Amino acid sequence: MEGQAVSLKGRVLVEGNATGKAVVVEALSFYGEVDPKTGTLNDGRSITGRVLVIGRPRGSTVGSYTIYGLKYYGKAPKAIIVENDADPILVAGAVLAGIPLVDRVMGALSAISDCDQVEVLSSGVVRVYKSKA
Amino acid sequence: MYLTREEERILAGEEGEAKAEALRIIVKVGEALGAERLVPIAHAHVSGISYGTIGDHGASLLEDLASRGARVAVPTTVNPVGYDAEDPGVLEKAGARITPEFVKGQSRILGALRRMGADLTLTCTPYYIPEVRGIPAGSSVAWGESNAILYANSVLGLRTNREGGPLALMAALTGRTYYWGMHLDQERVPQILYNVEGGILDEARAGVLGEIIATSHKGHRPPLVNARLRDEIALREFLAALGAAGSLAMAHIQGVTPEKPPEKPEERITISAKDLEERLDKYRPTGTPDVIFIGCPHAQASDVERLARLLRGAGRVRARVVVTLSKREYSRLLANNPRIIGDLSRMGVIIARDTCLIVSPFGQPGTRVATNSYKALFYLSKRGMKVSLAPLKDLARIAVEGV
Repeated sequence: MEGQAVSLKGRVLVEGNATGKAVVVEALSFYGEVDPKTGTLNDGRSITGRVLVIGRPRGSTVGSYTIYGLKYYGKAPKAIIVENDADPILVAGAVLAGIPLVDRVMGALSAISDCDQVEVLSSGVVRVYKSKA
Repeated sequence: MYLTREEERILAGEEGEAKAEALRIIVKVGEALGAERLVPIAHAHVSGISYGTIGDHGASLLEDLASRGARVAVPTTVNPVGYDAEDPGVLEKAGARITPEFVKGQSRILGALRRMGADLTLTCTPYYIPEVRGIPAGSSVAWGESNAILYANSVLGLRTNREGGPLALMAALTGRTYYWGMHLDQERVPQILYNVEGGILDEARAGVLGEIIATSHKGHRPPLVNARLRDEIALREFLAALGAAGSLAMAHIQGVTPEKPPEKPEERITISAKDLEERLDKYRPTGTPDVIFIGCPHAQASDVERLARLLRGAGRVRARVVVTLSKREYSRLLANNPRIIGDLSRMGVIIARDTCLIVSPFGQPGTRVATNSYKALFYLSKRGMKVSLAPLKDLARIAVEGV
């Protein structure tokens, strides 16, 4: 991988190792803001096969089904990182879909930008490789 | 998190893979919230089962759980769905469009829930079911559906957090939930007293009171409310409004809530009759609506009987009236008076079971609805409809005379 790695650490809620390009969202409600059939956000960005970085989760509790739906339609992100606390919607959805989930990753929003390469380890360590752009 | 030996066994898959997964979800959510242990539950009420919201992937998840042997471990009731299960076309007269695809998807969801052993009550008012009312106060339960959660904590003295999405179902399958939030004594103690001045509140005023408290309340402790709510409808609409407009799970209502409030609240707030009237002014009907909607949360048989008395002697109504209720209350209504539904139907009043206008594919932006439910106003307005609020007696007059 290119460039210097930045290392962050969070709390592991669903264990797993994953690597992918980042998609960063400040606040996200899965229900209404993510299309599970296409894996895209309302702004058109795809989260499929990416590491989804969320500042804080919010919104309807139906969101757990949407996260499961992403997996069901083969459009899931590789891992989800949350800067603040994951809420029950996100935890339940990630367990159902088997998507690695790490929360309380302090500084994630300022350290990670779209398209950075991000590596999530089962220990809760998050390594960020800045993209050259 | 501390787990009992039995819980360890379940997690290890000794009672089946589906139950292990359900418990893993409960444990993970509990850990994320900081719960120290789990608590057994006496009952579960599952919401979020409409095909319109959870789609084919939600149906597949539930079918997958059912086929892997998941079965409820405690008595479990379920929320309304998109249509009357015994008469799917009944709401079409009010403009709802129920497609065959919708019925097919919804049937998959109901079939999976039935296989898991849930009682298909299809109502958002499980608190009117005698078996539920028989659960001793102080018991922990796991309920979805915000109005029911508020009623459980505030009126029945049951203990539940807001278990949305699949969480109430996972609790049903394991008979447990995380010991956190509203299950803990200290979290149920109110700190702020709301003194509501003026006279007795009908359900429209009770609804706007719920909005005022939900949107101004600080902290997550239940508000202590001193208000004169006129009747059961006013109580139900107050709690439903509180649940719709905010994230509270309980209100401590003086004279209603079985728990004893603290003698000296830390803060006192006065809400005047003028505050309520000013808020209600925003929502008053200004023209004859397309549809008048009663039954959010589901009406009781006595509400329909009251409506029939208010409409007695009138000819056909000028605005289509829709009343939604549970199949149990529907049967009670027929038992009391076998002709009432036919009589109302001839006047233009539609009575539908198992559903409501919020969860059905009803209306479009601009559809004008008048209702006695702040909660219905809150959700239908989000879909672009023009919704007004008035108590039942005013709605009956509007139905006959228009505005």
